[in-house]
Amino acid sequence: MAKRKNIVEKEKLLDYRKMWAIFQKNFVVITRDKTRFLPLLLFPIFMIVVFGYTSGTAPKHISMGVIDYDNSPLSSSIIQEISNSDTFSIKKMLSTEGEGKKLMDRGDISVLVEIPPNLERDVNNGIPASITVLVDESDSSVAGTSKQMLNLIINKVSYGIGAKKIEIFQSSVGEAGNQLNAYISQNVNSYGTIASKTSAADSTLMSAKEIIDYNVMALSKSLSPPSPLFFPSSYKNNNVNYSASTVIVPITAAYSATQAQIASLSGASALMAASSGNIHSAGSIAAQSDAAYQQTHEYQYYYDNVVVPEQQISNFKNYNTNALLQPLSYNEKPAYGTGKQAIDFLIPSIIALTIFQGAVMGMGRAVAGEKREGSLTRVFLTPTSNVTIILGTLLFYIIFEVFRSSFLILIAMSLFHIKIEGSLIAIGAILVVYAGVSTGIGMFLSSLVNTEQQYMGVSMLVSMPTLFLAGAFFPIESMPKFLQGLAGLLPVTYAGDALRGVMIKGFSLATIWYPLLMLCIFLAVTLGAVFMVFKREID
Amino acid sequence: MRENIIETKGLTKRFGKFTAVAGINLQIKEGEIFGFLGPNGAGKTTTINMLTTLIKPTAGQVAIGGYDLAKQGSEIRAIIGVVPQTFSLFPELTPEENLSYIGQLYGMVPEKIKQRTKELLETVSLYDHRGRISGIFSGGMKQRLSLAASIMSSPKILFMDEPTTGLDPQSRIAIRELTEKLNSEGMTIVYTTHDMEEAEKICDTINIMDKGNIIAKGTDIEIKHMIKEDHLVEIEIANPTKEIISELKKLPFVVNAHLEKGLINVYVKNKEGVFYKLTDFMHTRNQKVNEIRFKEHSLEDVFIHLTKKDLRD
Repeated sequence: MAKRKNIVEKEKLLDYRKMWAIFQKNFVVITRDKTRFLPLLLFPIFMIVVFGYTSGTAPKHISMGVIDYDNSPLSSSIIQEISNSDTFSIKKMLSTEGEGKKLMDRGDISVLVEIPPNLERDVNNGIPASITVLVDESDSSVAGTSKQMLNLIINKVSYGIGAKKIEIFQSSVGEAGNQLNAYISQNVNSYGTIASKTSAADSTLMSAKEIIDYNVMALSKSLSPPSPLFFPSSYKNNNVNYSASTVIVPITAAYSATQAQIASLSGASALMAASSGNIHSAGSIAAQSDAAYQQTHEYQYYYDNVVVPEQQISNFKNYNTNALLQPLSYNEKPAYGTGKQAIDFLIPSIIALTIFQGAVMGMGRAVAGEKREGSLTRVFLTPTSNVTIILGTLLFYIIFEVFRSSFLILIAMSLFHIKIEGSLIAIGAILVVYAGVSTGIGMFLSSLVNTEQQYMGVSMLVSMPTLFLAGAFFPIESMPKFLQGLAGLLPVTYAGDALRGVMIKGFSLATIWYPLLMLCIFLAVTLGAVFMVFKREID
Repeated sequence: MRENIIETKGLTKRFGKFTAVAGINLQIKEGEIFGFLGPNGAGKTTTINMLTTLIKPTAGQVAIGGYDLAKQGSEIRAIIGVVPQTFSLFPELTPEENLSYIGQLYGMVPEKIKQRTKELLETVSLYDHRGRISGIFSGGMKQRLSLAASIMSSPKILFMDEPTTGLDPQSRIAIRELTEKLNSEGMTIVYTTHDMEEAEKICDTINIMDKGNIIAKGTDIEIKHMIKEDHLVEIEIANPTKEIISELKKLPFVVNAHLEKGLINVYVKNKEGVFYKLTDFMHTRNQKVNEIRFKEHSLEDVFIHLTKKDLRD
């Protein structure tokens, strides 16, 4: 017998080269089988589109007829607002209600909106006005959505009008405030000038009074005793005879003149005293004006903070929506971020659900299918360890799932206009762990059975509860306690929480530690289970 | 004297209460083509699956190539090749990719894989189809590819589990010729088949299995010899019925009787006067005997004689 050359390598527990071979084989197998690959790729996309649009979203493009009796800028802005929403699609502009009812009877439109004549004029004059809405009640979901949406739209327009009026009022209040401020500052200036002028005059008058007082005193002294006599210079220079008459008379005259001078000086002094009093009172006026200025400031404060708001409120009341249209019926705000819709909170759950279902669906072929086909038997006949076979298979499907999930998230983002708030690394980490759990569960079930048909049966056991307890269709909070408990046993619950945390709330990995830890526990348990049930024996 | 490359002692497999293989002892010599015969459900495939490490025996010892099956499964896998009943390759892959994948799982180096792939595809006449998807191949092409994959690692022992079942005559011949070629190169071959003619043609040693037991073993001549004391008479009548067969079986000088290709085969202990007795019996049943003669035993006759049933039952 010819000597047989040994070209076979000894079996190793973990053989990376063989793992890589299994990985490549799976890649070729999955991509080459179009009837399997395309559904595998498209099924989750189909799911996310269907789930995304059916769970938590209202009907869209409800057909509507509009009658505009007003034909004003206001009425056309209302129509514009309606046509901007996805909820309605305006099919026809009508002229009479009868026409509209006919269309509704035929089922051409589900909603009829009637804008009354003089709507804009009434609104401007603060006269209550209303828009009439007729809804076809045969489809309760369409009817409910229509009412709610129209209520919202009309309220929005009504608030828009109110806001504009407030704006105008605010600007007129502002103008009045400016005027008041200007008046106050002007007055304060003039008061200030008076005060400073008064004090300057005061001191001038004081020194003038001192001079006068001195002169009065000097004049008084020169009168009694009358020596030395005071002669006017003209007398000295003329050298005439000094008779009694010639001397006394002029002296007497001089004396009288001096007396008159004294009297007039005294009068001046009294006047000065009086004016001094006036100056003082001017000072007190200035002080008073300061106090008034202070009060004015306080009033301004009071005016800004009390009067203006009061007026705004009363004005706003006058223009209120109650007077205009229907009362508010919907005013719910999301807890996180702005511009988020209810659907945003469902999307992570839908993504988690879709990843799971896709992974479970894909694993039927991986073990059970290859068992049935016999190709796995062929692998069992080679010196390749179970560990290598399991890890090689899982590795491929995990990476495949991560790619598919990323693709899915991109689609969800563009379809539902979702912005990822948190880090992509965090999302990647969640996806890797969760894809491991999902494919692990699939591989576990696939290892339990011998054909893909059997696999379909057992996979239902996990895929059905996951489908309904993922929170994508029905809120978990509204389920009975035991179902909530069951949801707590499903990986999809934690994956949904973790993805929601990062995608919508912008949480970091540290914040979502709990769901992530739970997923890691699931991964460990699942992998352990796969190693336990993956048997080399064939039946 | 050649050594036993496979030896089993009391090899047993039970599935619950059902005993599929009931403590068989096999001795397969190195370099021979060992034929494993038996009807469906005899336990042939279960035995093959145990020998190829795919299922664990319930009891018994097995040594293959000097390795203990219970402890050295991995070493055994390295020296055997198996052609399963079904295709057992990836229909999405091309012949080249399938062979290359199997080579990688044997831990062969890339150059060797390349060289071996080309060589084998030429051997099984699939080289021109190397780039096509295997899933679309005919049964014969698939089986040739399966054979190529099974000998990718140049195994010492090749197990072939009904490799020609369901194939057209050309493909059967091709597989048979390949088997003989591999054997001539020194490969030990364990060949399971329904086809007695095939077994007679290519097998050196034959074991016949029924209901989990080996009921006959030896060369084809030895086996045929096992029923030599019985004589076979072939009778041609116009209208052979089951009633006639069962009445024949009741006759004191008849050991067994059955229908074979429209002819009645009757086993008798004693040759003397048997033609007369049988013709007379037919006359009493208003049956005209067209022809009556003694016949050589074929393996199939032996088989039917031993198992008391037709192979394809």
